[in-house]
Amino acid sequence: MKITLFHYFIKQATANIFENRLVHLIGIGTMSIAFLIFYAFILIFVNLNYWTEEQGSSLTMSIYFKGEPDRAVIEKIKKELFLFPGVTIKRFISKDDAIKSLRRRLGDKAGLLDGLKQNPLPASLEIILSRDKGGDTLPYQLKTRLEKITIVDEVQYSQEWIRRFQAIMEAIKIVGIIFGGLLFLAALFIITNTIKLTIYSRKEEIEILKLVGATNRFVKIPFMIEGSIQGFLGGVVALLILFLVYIIAIAKIDIRIGFASLDIVFLSPQYIFFLLLMSVVIGFIGSTISLGRFFRI
Amino acid sequence: MIQLFQVYKSFGSKNPALLDISLTVKKGEFVFITGPSGAGKTTLLKIIFCAERPTSGNALVDGRNLNRIKDQELSLLRRRIGVIFQDFKLLPRRNVFENVALTLEIIGFPLSMIRKKVHQTLRYLSLVNKEGYYPPQLSGGEQQRVAIARAIVNDPLILLADEPTGNLDPDLTMEIMALLKEIHIRGTTVLVATHSQELLKDTTRRIVTLNKGRIV
Repeated sequence: MKITLFHYFIKQATANIFENRLVHLIGIGTMSIAFLIFYAFILIFVNLNYWTEEQGSSLTMSIYFKGEPDRAVIEKIKKELFLFPGVTIKRFISKDDAIKSLRRRLGDKAGLLDGLKQNPLPASLEIILSRDKGGDTLPYQLKTRLEKITIVDEVQYSQEWIRRFQAIMEAIKIVGIIFGGLLFLAALFIITNTIKLTIYSRKEEIEILKLVGATNRFVKIPFMIEGSIQGFLGGVVALLILFLVYIIAIAKIDIRIGFASLDIVFLSPQYIFFLLLMSVVIGFIGSTISLGRFFRI
Repeated sequence: MIQLFQVYKSFGSKNPALLDISLTVKKGEFVFITGPSGAGKTTLLKIIFCAERPTSGNALVDGRNLNRIKDQELSLLRRRIGVIFQDFKLLPRRNVFENVALTLEIIGFPLSMIRKKVHQTLRYLSLVNKEGYYPPQLSGGEQQRVAIARAIVNDPLILLADEPTGNLDPDLTMEIMALLKEIHIRGTTVLVATHSQELLKDTTRRIVTLNKGRIV
């Protein structure tokens, strides 16, 4: 492409955005909303995926004791645990710590515990098992072995709910891909119509350009550049809104499922790059589709 | 240069706009197309620059059959035809310079050449001091001259003018006609559609008269 033409296309695209700023602002606003819904969905999807992987790769095991074990017993158990691959000691929770934690969680209703003559909560040791190193049979082996120790009352681990959780996640992934695809198409439909508005407002200009000898490509390219810029700006605005909502509200939500506390993570830089690129592509495709019917002069 | 063979044009079920038009315009000719309003003058010009296609019959311009012309070829042909539209068809959001430069930008002239040719043309049409103005800021006569400047800036083979003096006072009419004659002297084939009998008075040029879509 000649430099003069390239210069012309960029100049026209930016000048048109500036001149028709109201139409473009409406367009960018509509696109932002469409993208925001799509991005929010991606954020949920990414987090579900992240949780499945994170929770699936390790599990938390709690060893409950009869009475308060002394330090030597705990150290002995710890030594034994270290013989197994992929075991990490998370923390020891004494009976006192357990009741304090319960009081904290009960908040205003903590007074209910005052009537108790003795602390009913057991002391426990929380450990984390890495599935990569220990394999699937390790939790069961450990449970059987630990429960043989006299002072150990019971061993519980989060395997069962993780299995169910993973099955649900697999189903959600399939539904997610279908739903995400539909959302993508909906966004494309909205954007195509938004761009049509921009083009329609310049129908006469297109006609004049064609009548003085412009090729279809010559007329279309600035619109395609405009569509791409609109898509990019719509994407940036949607990401900013999503990020603000994430900082203000979502990041503070503490979701607990069984033993695990689930953190909500924001989109990674790779995802952000990919989504912005997708927004540009949608803007480009949207303007290309919208332009079709204006070229029968 | 322009050959029409038994051209018919109708829009839907209405009375036909053109009926059995056969016309040949040679290279370098100056032809007036005249007739009352609704006679088909504008439609005839539209057929020549392919804004409309004949319903039947054939139209050849610069050797190209307009019934069979492809999009790409049509764009190239239109670059060789300058058109002065009745309603000027200037881009209101582009200034005088940009409106005139449009044709050259489409062709892909280098920027330095565009500046040079646009300045030359604007000087020729006494519009140099108006180059930063936007069409709505100009008078009817000035807009007409900008439309002429855009039509001739790339030295077209054919110049089509649809009622070029329609909205102008007698002085400006003479001025515009003098300009068209000058352009013709430079070698351009010129077709002027007008309903003004005043313009045709004393002319020695060829006159084609249309009435109700037919050449009379």
